[in-house]
Amino acid sequence: MPDSNQQPTTAIVRIQRFNPDVDKKPHMQDFTVPLTPGTTILDALHQIKTEQDGSLTFRRSCRHAICGSCAMNVNGRNVLVCKTPLARELDKQGCVTIKPLPYLPIIKDLVVDRSSFWEQYLRVKPWLIPPDNVPEKEFRVSPEEVEALHNAETCIMCGACYSSCQVIAMTKHYVGPHAALKAFLRVLDPRDTAPAERLADLAGGDGVYRCHTIFNCIDACPKNLNPTQAIETLRKLAQKRQAMEEARQERQKTLALPVKSEE
Amino acid sequence: MYKSTGFISFVLRRFTGVVLVLYLFTHILVIGSATQGKAAFDATLKIVQGPLFKIMEIALIAAVAYHAFDGVRLLIVHYFNVIDYRKSLFYAAFAVAAFLTAIGGLLILQALFYKA
Repeated sequence: MPDSNQQPTTAIVRIQRFNPDVDKKPHMQDFTVPLTPGTTILDALHQIKTEQDGSLTFRRSCRHAICGSCAMNVNGRNVLVCKTPLARELDKQGCVTIKPLPYLPIIKDLVVDRSSFWEQYLRVKPWLIPPDNVPEKEFRVSPEEVEALHNAETCIMCGACYSSCQVIAMTKHYVGPHAALKAFLRVLDPRDTAPAERLADLAGGDGVYRCHTIFNCIDACPKNLNPTQAIETLRKLAQKRQAMEEARQERQKTLALPVKSEE
Repeated sequence: MYKSTGFISFVLRRFTGVVLVLYLFTHILVIGSATQGKAAFDATLKIVQGPLFKIMEIALIAAVAYHAFDGVRLLIVHYFNVIDYRKSLFYAAFAVAAFLTAIGGLLILQALFYKA
């Protein structure tokens, strides 16, 4: 009789499979994988692909939570599988359920079509639009101004927030939490010259006012970022975008000069 | 389907919103019957004062209370930085709505059975 205190040595990984050439709709398939204390869910997927079923398809790259490729839906929550321990996600039967990111078209198995994600990302012009007179040496931005951007700058574009968003489930025209967060980063950047133009787009019908404040994006973010707060800030700024534009023009006159704390 | 407390809140908000719009039409229909004279108005009122409509009124209180206090929750989120308390705010909206529905429901039921 096995010792009941002993840790289980295997786990059941239940994966949603879909092969567009053969299947009409997705189905679930169980695999049994070896379980050690350090096994992540990505390790389990690799084990299945290399030793059990080579046709299992999923995206992954860096395996240390910075490339944003391996976002999947594990037990109903969007996570990066490379940084999620397998043992933590197992239920009482020693089983974990893995599905592709919800609300997005499935290409194969755990790979989804992220076109709408990138379309919305490009829509907010995620690049910096610098002033004409770029200083010879450097822009001088105060620590307070940098601090305000801290919420947005570590996004890895994994899509976990995007595909947990209930508004995205209803319309792919919505800007989405990832793009709103990027827009927030640019709008609040003192070097950017077009805050009013960005806010005008975000104040439109498919912009930040469409957010339903459900907070799924915060709960899903593997980097503990806060898209909802960014959206709330953009909502407030969008109401006074002309004043914002004037303040920005004023600020840029002193952008090449030393900041106050250095004087 | 991405299930979470926020999802439940979202579904309830939309559902109660539709209920309130439907109620508005019913309300106008009932009040509007007054334009057809006293007898017609009395006849309509007699229908909507029956037990079935009283029970539906309790559901209406629930819809109004939840929709209103979910709106208050959104205002709080908009004007204050309370993201850390997001779960508590959902539960607070649920709890306040349930409390007000219980009080209103008891009063309606009391009037219903007291009369009978």
